[in-house]
Formats: sequence, C-alpha cells, structure tokens
Amino acid sequence: MHQGYYQSMGAADMAQLQATMQAIELACNSIQMHTNPTAAEATLLSLSQSPRPYQACQFILENSQLPNARFQAAGAIRDAAIREWGFLEPNDRRGLISFCLCFIMKNANSPEGYVLVKVASVAAQLLKRGWLDFTAAEKEAFFHEVEQAVQGSHGLDVQFAGISFLESLVSEFSPSTSTAMGLPREFHEQCRISLEQDYMKAFYCWVQYAAFNVSDRIIGANSEIPEVKVCSAALRLMLQILNWDFRGKNSIENSKRGMDIFYDGMKQENDSLRRSECILVQPGPAWRDVLISSGHVGWLLNFYTALRQKFSCEGYWLDCPLAVSARKLIVQFCSLTGTIFPSDSGEMQRQHLLQMLAGIVQWIEPPDAVSKAIKSGKSESELLDGCRALMSMATVTTPLVFDELLKSLRPYGTITLLSALMCEVIKDLMENRTEEETWSWVARDILLDTWTTLLMQLDASGHKHSLPPEGISAAANLFALIVESELRAASASAFNDEDEYDYLQASIAAMDERLSSYALIARAAVGATIPLLKELFSERIMRLHQGRGTSDPTETLEELYSLLLITGHVLADEGQGETPLVPKEIESHYSNVTEVDKHPVIVLSGSIIRFAEESLDPELRRYFFSPRLMEAVVWFLARWSSTYLMPPGESGENKGGYENYNNTQHLRGQTTNALVSFFGENDQGKAVLDVIIRISLSTLVSYPGEKDLQALTCCQLLHGLVKQKNIICHLVTLDSWRDLATAFTNERVLFSLNAAHQRSLAQTLAVSASGMKTSEASNQYIKSLTSHMTSALVELSSKNDLKAIAQQPDIILLVSCLLERLRGVARASEPRTQKAIYEMGFLVMNPVLIFLQAYKDESVVVYLLLKFVTDWVDGQIIYLEAQETAAVVDFSMRLLQLYSSNNIGKISVSLSNSLRSEADAEKYKDLRALLQLLSNLCSKDLVDFASEPIETYGTNISQVVYTGLHIVTPLITMDLLKYPKLCHSYFSLLSHMLEVYPEIIAQLNVEACSHILGTLDFGLHHQDIEVVDLCLRALRALASHHYKDRGDGKVGLGSHATSYKDADGKFHEGILGQFLRSLLRLLLFEDYSTDLVSSGADALLPLILCEQSVYQNLANELIERQVNQTFRSRLTNAFQSLITSNNLSSTLDRMNYQRFRKNLLSFLIEVRGFLRTV
Amino acid sequence: MSDEEHHFESKADAGASKTFPQQAGTIRKNGYIVIKGRPCKVVEVSTSKTGKHGHAKCHFVGIDIFTGKKLEDIVPSSHNCDVPHVTRTDYQLIDISEDGFVSLLTETGNTKDDLRLPTDENLLSQIKDGFAEGKDLVVSVQSSMGEEQICALKDIGPK
Repeated sequence: MHQGYYQSMGAADMAQLQATMQAIELACNSIQMHTNPTAAEATLLSLSQSPRPYQACQFILENSQLPNARFQAAGAIRDAAIREWGFLEPNDRRGLISFCLCFIMKNANSPEGYVLVKVASVAAQLLKRGWLDFTAAEKEAFFHEVEQAVQGSHGLDVQFAGISFLESLVSEFSPSTSTAMGLPREFHEQCRISLEQDYMKAFYCWVQYAAFNVSDRIIGANSEIPEVKVCSAALRLMLQILNWDFRGKNSIENSKRGMDIFYDGMKQENDSLRRSECILVQPGPAWRDVLISSGHVGWLLNFYTALRQKFSCEGYWLDCPLAVSARKLIVQFCSLTGTIFPSDSGEMQRQHLLQMLAGIVQWIEPPDAVSKAIKSGKSESELLDGCRALMSMATVTTPLVFDELLKSLRPYGTITLLSALMCEVIKDLMENRTEEETWSWVARDILLDTWTTLLMQLDASGHKHSLPPEGISAAANLFALIVESELRAASASAFNDEDEYDYLQASIAAMDERLSSYALIARAAVGATIPLLKELFSERIMRLHQGRGTSDPTETLEELYSLLLITGHVLADEGQGETPLVPKEIESHYSNVTEVDKHPVIVLSGSIIRFAEESLDPELRRYFFSPRLMEAVVWFLARWSSTYLMPPGESGENKGGYENYNNTQHLRGQTTNALVSFFGENDQGKAVLDVIIRISLSTLVSYPGEKDLQALTCCQLLHGLVKQKNIICHLVTLDSWRDLATAFTNERVLFSLNAAHQRSLAQTLAVSASGMKTSEASNQYIKSLTSHMTSALVELSSKNDLKAIAQQPDIILLVSCLLERLRGVARASEPRTQKAIYEMGFLVMNPVLIFLQAYKDESVVVYLLLKFVTDWVDGQIIYLEAQETAAVVDFSMRLLQLYSSNNIGKISVSLSNSLRSEADAEKYKDLRALLQLLSNLCSKDLVDFASEPIETYGTNISQVVYTGLHIVTPLITMDLLKYPKLCHSYFSLLSHMLEVYPEIIAQLNVEACSHILGTLDFGLHHQDIEVVDLCLRALRALASHHYKDRGDGKVGLGSHATSYKDADGKFHEGILGQFLRSLLRLLLFEDYSTDLVSSGADALLPLILCEQSVYQNLANELIERQVNQTFRSRLTNAFQSLITSNNLSSTLDRMNYQRFRKNLLSFLIEVRGFLRTV
Repeated sequence: MSDEEHHFESKADAGASKTFPQQAGTIRKNGYIVIKGRPCKVVEVSTSKTGKHGHAKCHFVGIDIFTGKKLEDIVPSSHNCDVPHVTRTDYQLIDISEDGFVSLLTETGNTKDDLRLPTDENLLSQIKDGFAEGKDLVVSVQSSMGEEQICALKDIGPK
C-alpha cells in the first residue's frame, strides 16, 4: 500500500525524499567514520525535529540500504510522533503504528536485529501513547496481526518478531522500564492497569502455545535448529510476564506488596526487604487455570529434563540461552504465591512446590557429587539456580512446610539437604581461599539468604515454633563448620599485609551481614552452639597464656578477633537506635536454668569480660592486647552491654513490687531473670560497669594514635552507655567515671585524641550529668567539667601578645582542642543542664570573636568557631529568656559581620590546584555553618519556652535573620551554589523566610533585594528538583502575599513590584513581572520533571493574578510568533482556557489552586509539543 | 592545668622557633606539617597498620605552601612530627618597583622592600591593575621557616 502511495506522488516529491535519504545516510556514515560528527548529528536532529517527517522516515526505512539510517529514521518517527501526537489525525496515529508493525513482520528475516528491535519499541511506545484513546476494536486490530505472528502462522522469523514486539510492549507498560513521554504518572498507571487486566494473560497464552509447539521439534532434533531461537524468546517473555508487578483486582486486598497473604500475618514487611533477589510472583486467582491447572509447570520441567539429556549434542550445553531461560523460568515458578492458590490451607501450593522440588532436586543432589563435578570443570549454573529455587521456596512457605517437602521424596527433610549443600560450599571455600569471587562465594551468599529467610520467619512467629529436631542438629553441624572455616581463615590471614587489611575494611558491611546470618543459624541451635563458642574461646585463651613469651601469638590473636565478632553477633542484636532485647531463642532455650554458674550465656560472657579485664595489666596488655584485638574487645563490650548490662525491664521495678512484676511477666520466665539479674544493678552489674569504664580509660590513654580503637571506645562503647537512663544513674556514682572525667580535664595525652573523638567524649561526659540526683548537682557537674576550658580560652584571648603567638602550632592545637570539647558539651544540651551550658557559651562569647579575628587566615580554626556557635545556639535558643536571646542574637550578628568583613573581597591564590579547590571547599563549609546558624535563630519564632515574649527586649527574629542573610548572601557566589548541600541549605532558608515573612522583602533596599531575587532566579533554573521546588514555593509566597495585601489596600511588596521608567527613559519591570516571564519560559520551553508542574502552577497562579497585563502581553507575543494558522488558534485558545476553564476565579484558595493545577497540566500537554520545536 | 602552663611558657621564644613537635595522630587534613624539610599543607591523611596486629601509622599527602609541590610521608601515629609555624601578615601596598619588587607599609610605619611580586598571573594582574587604578590594596604575606610569599590580596578602598 505504501508503494502505491509513493507512486501517486509527483516526481519532484520523489526527488525530495531521495535527497533527504541521501543526507541522512551521509550523516550516519560520517558519524561512524567520525568525520565531522557535530554536523552529522545536527542533520539527524533536524529530521526528528522537522514537522511531520513521517513520509521521509518511512521512505528511508523502506528504501535505504544502510541499517543505521533505518535505525535513525525509526527514532525520528518516534520523536516526532510523541511530540505531535496531540494534533495528529486519528488515522495518522493508527497508520504510524501499523506501518511499524508491518515493517517488523515484513522484514522479520533481516539480519540487522537492532533495527527491528528499534522499530518494535517505536511501535510499542506509540501504541502506549494512544492506549487510552484507542477503542477496544482498534486495539484488537493491532493485536490480531501480532497473535497470528506469535502463533507461528507466518513462519519462524515472523513468530520471533512477534514475540520480541510483545517483549518491547510489556517493558514499555511496566512503570520501571517505561519511557516518560512527558506524561504524568497517572497516565502510565492507567496503561499498566489496563494492560494487566485485558491483555497480559492472553499474551502469556500465546507464547506458551508457541513454546509448546516448537518444543517437540527441539527435543527431537540432534543439533541446533531455528526453533531454538523462538523457544528461548518465548520462555524469556513468560519470565518477563511473571516478573510483572501484578496489582490489579486479583490481588487488590494484597495492597502491601511483598507480603504473603497466604500465610496471613506470618511474615513481616521488613523480612522481604532483605530478600531483594527473590521477587514474589502473585498474579491472583485469574491465572490459576493457565499456570497451575493446565499442567504447564509439568511440561516446563519435563522439557528441561529432556533438554538436559541433549547437553552432549551440538548446539546445546548447560549454559546455552535456551537452558538458561528455562531454568530462570523454573526458579521463578518457585516463588509463585498469593491468591492464585485457593484457600485450601496451602494444599495446592504444597503440591505445586513439591512438583517443582522434584524437578530441581536433580540439579543439586547429592551435594558432594555435585560439588566434585563442579571442581572438575562442570558448569556451576545448575547448582546456583537450584540454590535460588530453594531460596524462593523458603520465601513462600513456612520452615515446617519447607522441611516437609522433601520428606515425601527422600528419607530426610529439605533443611537437611540445605545444610548438606551449605557444608559442601563451606568446605570448598576452606580449600580455595582466593580473592576473586568463585561459585562457592555466590552459592554461600544465596544459601545464607535462604537460612536467613527461614530463620527470620521463626523469629517473627514468636518462640512457639522452632525447627524440627533434625533441623536443629543440621544447623548445629553447619554452624560448627562455619566457625571452623572462619577461624581457619583468620589464622591463615594473620600475617597478611596491610593491603589485604584495607580490602577487608572495605567489605566490612558485607561481613557484618554475613555474621548476622551466621548468628541466626547459631541461635537456631543455641543448646549446642553457645557451649561450642565457650569451649573454643577458653581454648584460645589458654593457648595464649601457655605460649606467653615463647611463641608468636599473632595467629591466636586473629582467631580471638574473629571469635569475638561471631560471639557478639550470636549473643546480642544491634540496637539500631532502640534498646535491643535478649534474643528470643536464647531467652526461651534456657528458660529452666536457674543456677548462674551453669547458665552457658553467663559463663561465656563472664569469661570474655574476665579476659577483657586482663588488658588493664600493663604487662599482659603488651603481650596480648594488640590494637586490633582491643578493637574487637571494645566492640564486643559495646554490643554486649546494650543488651545485657542492667537492662531497663529489671531496674526500678524491683524497688517496689518486684514480686508482682515477676508474676505478670510469666512469659519471660526464669531464664531472663537468672541472666538479666546476674548482670543487673543488684548483682554483678555495677562491678561489670566499673570494669568497662576502666577498660575504656585505659584504651584512651594507653593506645596513643590508634584512631580506630579510640573511635570505637568513644563513639560506640561510651556513647552507648550514656544513652541508657538506667545505666547513667549508676555511672555517675562510680569512682572510675570520676577518674575518666578528671583524666579528660587534666591528662595531656587525652589532648592528642582525634578531634571528633575529643568532641564525642566531651558530649558523653556532659550527657551523663542527667544521671545526677538533682538539677543543681547536674549544673554543678557541667560547670566543673567545663570551667577549665572556658577559663583557658578567656585567659588566652586576653593575652597582649595573642597576635604573635596565636599562629604557633601548639596554640592552634590547644585552641582547636578546647573548641571541639566545648562543641561536644554544647551538643549535649538538655533542659536540665541548659543553664550551665548557656553560662559556658556566654563566658566565651568575647573570646570567640577575638579568635575569629586572630585566626582569620586559619580556616580550620574559623570553621571550628562557627560550628561551635552554631551547635551552641541550636541547643540553647528555644529555652532562652528574652534578655538572653537579645545577647545571643547580638553576638551572632557581630560574628556574622566580623566573618564577612574578613572575607569579602578577598582574593586568595595558590600555586596548587588542589589547594585552591580545598580553599573553596572550606569557604563553602563556613557559609553552610553560617546559614545553619541563621536557621537555628529562625526556630526561636516557632518554638519558644521563654517566660516573656522576646520582643520585650526589642528582638525581632525575622528582622535579625534578614539582616543575617543580607550579610551572608554577598559571600555566596554562584560558584559556591554549585555545592549541593550549601545550595539546599541556602534555598531552604530563603524559601522558609519568604514563606513566613514575605513582608520583610518590601523593607529591603534595592541592592539587597535584587541579590536575593537574583539567586531565586538562579535556583529556578537549577537541575536539582528540590531546589527548584523550594524556589517555586518562595515565588508563590511572594506573589500571593503581594496579591492579598493589595486586595486589602496595603502596599504589598511596595516599590519592588512596580514597573517604572528611569530618568533615561529605560523601562524597568517590577520583580513579579520578571518572574512571571521567567517562569512561563521555564514551563514552556525548558526541560524539567513533570513532578514540578503542580508547584509551578501554585507559583504561576498568583503571579498571573498580580500581573494580568504582563500575562496578556506575553501570551500575545507568543501567539504573534506562530506562523501556522492552526497552531496559532490552538495557542490562543489554550492561553484563554488556562485562566478561564474549570470555573477558575481570581481568589487564592485551595480549590482554586487545585483547578489551576489541572488547567496548567492540560495547557502544557496541549501546546508544549509544538512550541518547543516549531 | 599543668600542660597549658607548659604551652604558655614556651611562647617567650616562640617567635624564633620555626617548627613545633606534634603527635602524628593529631595532625588533621588542612593542617600543616613539615615533609622533607618543607612546610606543607596537609591535603590527605589516611591511617593503616603495620601488619594486622601492629600499630597504626599515618600516611600524609602535603602540598608545599610555597612551591605547590606534592610531598608524601608515613609516620607511626604515636610519634611526633614537625609542624611549621606559619604566619600571615597584612601590609598595605605602597609601591611596585620596575624590577618586580614591592614596597609595603608595616604596622610600625616602616617600609618593607624585600618581597617580589607573586608569580601567579591572576594575583599579579590584580595587584598591578589595582595599583594602577589607585585602589587601596592590602596584601597578605605568608611566611614560614624563613621563607615569605604574597598569598592574598584585599581591596580596602572606599566602598
């Protein structure tokens, strides 16, 4: 039909088309040869941007000999059609789609697959673009052809082409892989739902039929035949469809995705997050006939089994595409779940899984033989896919059902098989320790995830369930083997060099995850594993003592290091911000052990704490306690103490009705009491706490320069202790804690702690003040803690020769140390200690300003000063009384002014590029701190606990912050706004200010105002969506303030908003007019995310209302520029309906904003397409 | 506090001292350090261990503050390093001589004539142009370990 179309054209047109084709071919060639690529790209771009290039594109597709030219032509059709879709005739739309479909069918045997794929994806995109407008009959017409093709009635090539078109279509309709096409999310969502409801199952049936039909021929053939290609494509598409995120009516009640409603309540959302690898397939009851009752799964498994026999034939092997797709599909079927199975208490699902397992078990059994075969060169993919299948099954069943599955086929359960598999994998890992990832690494990770999946379910279902006895002993064996392999790895790596160490550091997160999985396995068999750990630990300690002075302990140290990490994970969970409880398995297993000296957990913990205590002896420390071992000790103590040391449930209650409490807490049973009360406050708790504090002090003092160790001590161990209220009140009564505080103020060696640790230690000590009995005591404690620091700073700042000595390295070190400490204390602000901390800051206000001047070239100190003030104000501001507020505000302003006068207009240069960029980064950090300071001041207006309003002392926060902004903004250059964090802080502060206090803008002078508004315009064109959004909010606030104020007969933004002619007759537009122009240009001509349209609308509406005449002028300007009459009238109507349709009124209320958002969206869809290109 | 007194006492002859000892572990990024006899600004610090169970050591990357050359050093973190005394002094610019020297006004009212114009082109042109336009310019002079160099410029002319 198209040929005829060309014939009917004149010769002139023909020549024109030929010329275009030649130009495009030339451009394609020159891109490939890399001669003048810019010009070539321009030629290609001009094709896709020209109006209605379809005829030329179709001509090229059908006639060009150059595949690249055809590829480009297809792309041009897509670009042009998506852009012009709004004003294409329905006939043209359909014509383009059928052209593409015909093209792929006609050229199905073409060797240039990529052109076909491109055309197929163009067809899919156009079909989606028109999806909601086409009638059902129109869609049927398209799909009829496709169905014919997929069924194979036009030969294998066409069949393959049909399947790959469906592949493009499904991925185009799936939200994660769709093309945006400039349409809102609702559109994509509606398309997704419609395809899922009306077509998905049909597609599946077509390809299922296709695969079924070719499979016999494949099995019968002795070499690779063309059917193989079709079959693997079909299997791929089935997999893709099963991967679809089904959400329609079928599983509507299943709104929490990833949750298996089949075992209602058994699983929790957070488990499934871990199992990222395993996507649940939940297509709902409508799919039961196709997937379950049709025998489809049986066919698939048989097909694969038959395929396995052929791996010796030419063209087939374990990793050939067909085998890979088939296995993937089988694994996917293992995670089938949800309402597709009837509610028959899981019977049908069990049958299904049993069928799957029977097929899969051949891939992985017997584990030792499989592993041996892989070691002698067989591909590992079957084993890995088998492991993945087990993992999927573990995800969709309960541990008990999972274990039972295999029992109907074998004398043992699935968990035993799982354990045997994992043991083989661990053995292989022990034999070959290599750097690169081997099959056993991958298999170990998958199997560990499977264990985690199973055991987490047990965990979530309470301690009534546990593994069957056989499963427990399987877990115990496995854990013993795991520990053996870890210890062997440790001693083997003990002498490795530092490079390896760095490598391990990098993978520490991965290791942590692995250790938590090990811990789950250990806890499943607590009865065996804790005594095992205890035994291994004692053995190592004995070995250390025996070999003391005679043999090198390094290997044993490294083993102890591993053992401590493993034990820590087994005994306690990471709190993640909450107080962790004693793990349920440990709690329930020892529920009848009442004698403390026979409680394995107490015995194990006790022996580790006694070992740790040995580090206090200087001689033993020198022999055994290397920095690395000490790191593990401190880490263990931190983790252990947050669970077991004076747990909150136990303290308090036992003063009053401990008996009562005991009775009501029957569930917790005796065990917790034996365990908990042993380390509780009335028994050994205090003694253990004392040991821990003494160990901390000794690590801080005796390991100079060991940053990692100090970090663990300060930030994890001590920080963790003061987070617990029940510990703090005992802490402050201990001599060892007082020793720590004294050492902190006096010990010279503690001045050499790393800055961050210095700060953290100060904070920790200050926080502990809340453990004091009275608030006077707390304030007194803070005072004595800080007085040495404040007086040292005051004294230093008042020295006459400060200028001379300030820049001496030792003085700089001292000042920075003290400031870090003050900052730490400032961050510990609490209502109870607020007075003392305010005093502290008040005393150093003047010194801070003096130092800011003295160290104006010492960026490190400047930054510290600013950060201290920022943190101090942050902690204090809401509690301050009016008078104090006035003092703080005054101080902050002086600080800002001083900083500004030191830095404005300064040009620093450096010979080295890296130093220069370093200097920029420092400036950026300073400014960020200053902006934070302003935001902190701002918060006084929102939350204020002062007894009288701050205005009593003449403080006006908004005024202050604007003045601050006025000082700071000149320092913020456009270059600095390229730092994303600074940019965010700046614009969030600015938009907050404009939203809350728009009236202040009117009071600013022209210069200040234009700088602020200049940055706003800059932000409007920023790449970061959030920044643009902030600016739009600021604009909305400005314009709506002006509009409402004017409505009330007030000045609004005053002179800034009015347009005027200056003395030279030059016209100056008011700011709102400028922004209207700028915003409209942005919305119409620039690229932005569709998410911004609604906030754009919210800013545009008040702007239009303020500046109606400017809006009319702009609209006329744009309309005048249109030469095409149709476009011109469309544009006129669009501009008109933007401000009139949906009953838009001229008020600024919620309803009106909503209407305008809709108007703007349809306006943009209507006109953006042609405005941007024509 | 005893150690502070210690600090303060040493200041009497501090002006004369070119470097100060400081524990390697306390030297931070953006601080100063002497590497191979040159005063450097630290642009990178990393720590590592000598063997798994050995002690920590610091790896410094510094940039010579006068020449811009990159220098590196490794020091056990509990050992002391030399830290240079780096000062910056502001002077008002009063003249630029033909042979590339500048004449600066000191706080005491004397002139200082032994400094060359900087080699950095940006700064050089700013100084020359600014001076030619008659602006009041203040230059910052960085000095350490017996060397001096103009490193920054500020226009304090009437606003």
